[in-house]
Amino acid sequence: MQPGPGGGGAAAGSARHRKWPMKRRVPVAEPSLADPHQLFHDTSSAHGPGGYPVHRTPGGLGYASPSQPAFLADPVSNMAVAYGSSLAAHGKELVDRNIDRFIPVTKLKYYFAVDTVYVGKKLGLLVFPYLHQDWEVQYQQDVPVAPRFDINAPDLYIPAMAFITYILVAGLALGTQDRFSPDLLGLQASSALAWLTVEVLAILLSLYLVTVNTDLTTIDLLAFSGYKYVGMIGGVVTGLLFGRTGYYLVLGWCCVAIFVFMIRTLRLKILSEVAAEGVLVRGARNQLRMYLTMAIAAAQPLFMYWLTFHLVR
Amino acid sequence: MAFTLYSLLQAALLCVNAIAVLHEERFLKNIGWGTDQGIGGFGEEPGIKSQLMNLIRSVRTVMRVPLIIVNSIAIVLLLLFG
Repeated sequence: MQPGPGGGGAAAGSARHRKWPMKRRVPVAEPSLADPHQLFHDTSSAHGPGGYPVHRTPGGLGYASPSQPAFLADPVSNMAVAYGSSLAAHGKELVDRNIDRFIPVTKLKYYFAVDTVYVGKKLGLLVFPYLHQDWEVQYQQDVPVAPRFDINAPDLYIPAMAFITYILVAGLALGTQDRFSPDLLGLQASSALAWLTVEVLAILLSLYLVTVNTDLTTIDLLAFSGYKYVGMIGGVVTGLLFGRTGYYLVLGWCCVAIFVFMIRTLRLKILSEVAAEGVLVRGARNQLRMYLTMAIAAAQPLFMYWLTFHLVR
Repeated sequence: MAFTLYSLLQAALLCVNAIAVLHEERFLKNIGWGTDQGIGGFGEEPGIKSQLMNLIRSVRTVMRVPLIIVNSIAIVLLLLFG
């Protein structure tokens, strides 16, 4: 009985070995990826038996090192390595070609075209929007100018960084109260993300119902909804340093600032041209749009309080 | 605050189910929200009510079949994992 299944197993094992080279179990320590961010072993140089990088060279691609493992001298594994690397290259090409269908990469690049001066000025504007006069986004032949050149343009860099910082600060705050555990970080993150999604969907739905002809895209709305994390971080940090009174003071200030910021920014995008200039235009439509703008702006302080009050004791 | 992304998905599924369940003849016509009652003037902006009615009708038309699939998946997942 023993040799039969053993032989069959060995034959099947070697067939499996030839067909799916990546999954084989080797008793020697598995050659792990030198750079954890690299998804595939880059064996594009067709270097033969030395395909696996054993140590990391400054060039980033580890070629054949003198001490290659013995099992790589096998011609079968050469074929396996070549096949696997061609499969990986093909897969990467496929992803690169099709990624643009699901995530608009080129459009996203616009939102991350920021520099330090812009970030500094924008953060200042988020906290103190009362002196800024001109809120109009500049255009360049129908295309909005990159955020680097126009402080009024929305970007995704500040919301993304502020979101991550908020999660870290939440973990810090929970840690000072002895309530921290690593899965709570994930819970905070998904909770904040879920509320963000709810808010963006609610804004999209209400924009659809009121039939506003605006050039606000979904990513713009995501950016505007993400700006409140800056105030939240300020509030929580002050709450950690100075207790509840500090938290309420800074949060109150940031809430009013975000309210004014959102109204002044959205007024130009949602209201009609004439009404945006401050002239009181009668008519149910404009009134409805003004209510919508104020509702969106008023939702921000609510979310800011809701997402931070449990962090400060 | 255990508001996770999964509960958001569940809430969205329940909302879409609720919209898909509204029956055209027995209910919507009786409260004046039928789709043939909402046609306003052609040159004007549609009001909120007609936008809502259009939204309900399009959700019912478009999401009928995908909802069957997604509901079945949700039922199986809930049975297996609670």
